Amino acid sequence: MAAVGRLDGGAVSAPDGQGDGPVSGRGSSPPWRTGLLLALPAVVIFALLFVAPLFTLVANSFRTQTGAFTFGNYVRFLGDPFYRDVLWNTLKVAALTTAGCLVIGYPFALYMRGRSPRVRNWLALLLLSPLLISMVIRAYGWLVVLGPNGPVAAVLTWFGIAPPQLLYNDTAVLIGMVHVMLAYMVLPLMGSLDRIDPTLVPAAKGLGAPGWTCFWRITLPLSAPGMLAGAMIVFSLTASSFVTPAILGGPKVKLMPYFVYTQATTTLDWPYAAAIGFVLVVVTTGLLLGYSRLLRRGHGEVVFG
Amino acid sequence: MRTRTTRQEAERSVSTSTTGTPAGPAARRGRLRLDGVRKVLGGKEVVSAVDLETEPGEFLTLLGPSGCGKTTTLNMVAGHLGADGGVIEVDGTDVTGTPPHRRSMGMVFQSYALFPHMTIADNVAFGLRMRKVPAAERRRQVEEVLEMVGLDGMAGRHPRQLSGGQQQRAALARALVIQPDLLLLDEPFSNLDAQLRVRLREEVVALQRRIGTTTILVTHDQEEALAVSDRIAVMADGVIHQLDRPREIYLRPATDFVAQFIGEVNALDGTATGGGACEVAGARVGATAVGDPPAQGAGVRVYVRPEVVRIQADGDGLRGTVRETRFLGSRIRCVVATGAGEVTAALPFDAQVPAMGEEVTCAWRPSDASMAVR
Repeated sequence: MAAVGRLDGGAVSAPDGQGDGPVSGRGSSPPWRTGLLLALPAVVIFALLFVAPLFTLVANSFRTQTGAFTFGNYVRFLGDPFYRDVLWNTLKVAALTTAGCLVIGYPFALYMRGRSPRVRNWLALLLLSPLLISMVIRAYGWLVVLGPNGPVAAVLTWFGIAPPQLLYNDTAVLIGMVHVMLAYMVLPLMGSLDRIDPTLVPAAKGLGAPGWTCFWRITLPLSAPGMLAGAMIVFSLTASSFVTPAILGGPKVKLMPYFVYTQATTTLDWPYAAAIGFVLVVVTTGLLLGYSRLLRRGHGEVVFG
Repeated sequence: MRTRTTRQEAERSVSTSTTGTPAGPAARRGRLRLDGVRKVLGGKEVVSAVDLETEPGEFLTLLGPSGCGKTTTLNMVAGHLGADGGVIEVDGTDVTGTPPHRRSMGMVFQSYALFPHMTIADNVAFGLRMRKVPAAERRRQVEEVLEMVGLDGMAGRHPRQLSGGQQQRAALARALVIQPDLLLLDEPFSNLDAQLRVRLREEVVALQRRIGTTTILVTHDQEEALAVSDRIAVMADGVIHQLDRPREIYLRPATDFVAQFIGEVNALDGTATGGGACEVAGARVGATAVGDPPAQGAGVRVYVRPEVVRIQADGDGLRGTVRETRFLGSRIRCVVATGAGEVTAALPFDAQVPAMGEEVTCAWRPSDASMAVR
């Protein structure tokens, strides 16, 4: 996730109002050395627990079950329309979850921004509450809520509407995922909105911009880094999530992580499981890099303006 | 578009209200009037009944310590805060309920509030874009105003690539390009270092004199206020204590607060003897009453700046003993113990310096001091 690291140095930063000279770094030791020291624990953990296993994963994916070198696993995956569908569906669910979190989360973040610290703390707690419960329990909760005898069906029936099938389809997975992922979208978004100088909107208003224009031309483009960070987190977490889709998707909706799981535990075809996993990593990373480049090139402004 | 309509209406109302006077240039516009303007924030009245009227083209400063209500007043003029009472008028048009984007106010914020994701040219063009000025005309005006503030060649830069002073100029250009009825400056110099602050404020004053836009400056810096303003409104606790020209504010403060806030002052208690004179510690001293002259026998306080006090061997004035003399470079500080307390004089460097313990008289011109009822 190299792109995540670049967020802070990215397109938008607050203007520096101090002094007349150009802003420059200070301090005697080279900044990169201090920076490296601070990053060391994280780098070690990532190297040992992420990069090294990833290499093993990649190496394994190019082997047959007996250990010989082969492209067979990838040929098999890409040649099979069923698996291509699964990949497509996984990306679709991840994208829709991201979009859902953005649409629900952005107004919420805007609302939170204007509140007092006390109210904000309560709202943040509310937002984080789904993460305090075990994933399995939460998913079973949704089974009850969305089930044929659940409250949603009851309310719909009361209004004389025949309740549609709410469980074991993409919608169910989407509802469950948005519920969990909302916090991952709102919190970076909050950070981004908080960094916007609160006088920018009054300044725009004073220059003749009505409220909606202020939002469209000032707030939205300046919150792009937060949207980008939130979207990346939500997208990658959703694309690789297993429990919620497995429970709420039922037998019909099967996403990539599910097949990694079955190949590894049921079929015991570890190289093929590795190949599926690696395809997911490559596709997700590729999409996120492309997405962040698109946003960064426009400095936020062109994309949204 | 709507902003322009307001402007036209404003111009029309001016031309009717100023019949008889020759149709002047832009200087005829920009008459701001506040009538009993109030604001309550968090249950506290931060601005109470502020009355104020500017001349077109005037440079007026709201001066006061932080929390005195000066910025709140400015924000009500700009429309960023609604008034809880009173009327705000620009050129005879009531704008009290008008949202900020339909008022024609160019505001420079303390933080400059430049849009960080836009170039300087786009920042400056923003107001013109909102007014639907065609692109070619927009470009011409942006170029013109950037040259006026000395930022030609910076159009393509982003705000973060500019120094503090340059950002300040860009913010000024952005406020001026829309040809506002009023230019509102909210502590615009406070983020600059001392030298640059003085240079930029001289530039802003020169520019303001040239284009003649009525300007309201908010500051807590009394020296700045004295240096740039046509008139100063000294505010404290949500009310205007005194509204007058810098010289009057300095030499003839109307209240204790004004006297103490702006520079050093000798505050002497005495009794009014009628006819613009008073008695302090048995001596007759002259002072100008601010407002109605106090009745004979009323307790008054006389405010005298150290710079106006002359030390003489004899003659009319307050007698006392020299307690301290100190050479301060530009001035000589001399403290005299009198019957009304210590009087400090700031003498010019070539003045006859009295000896310690010498009996002297402190005197000043009545027009250089003020008195107010205690």
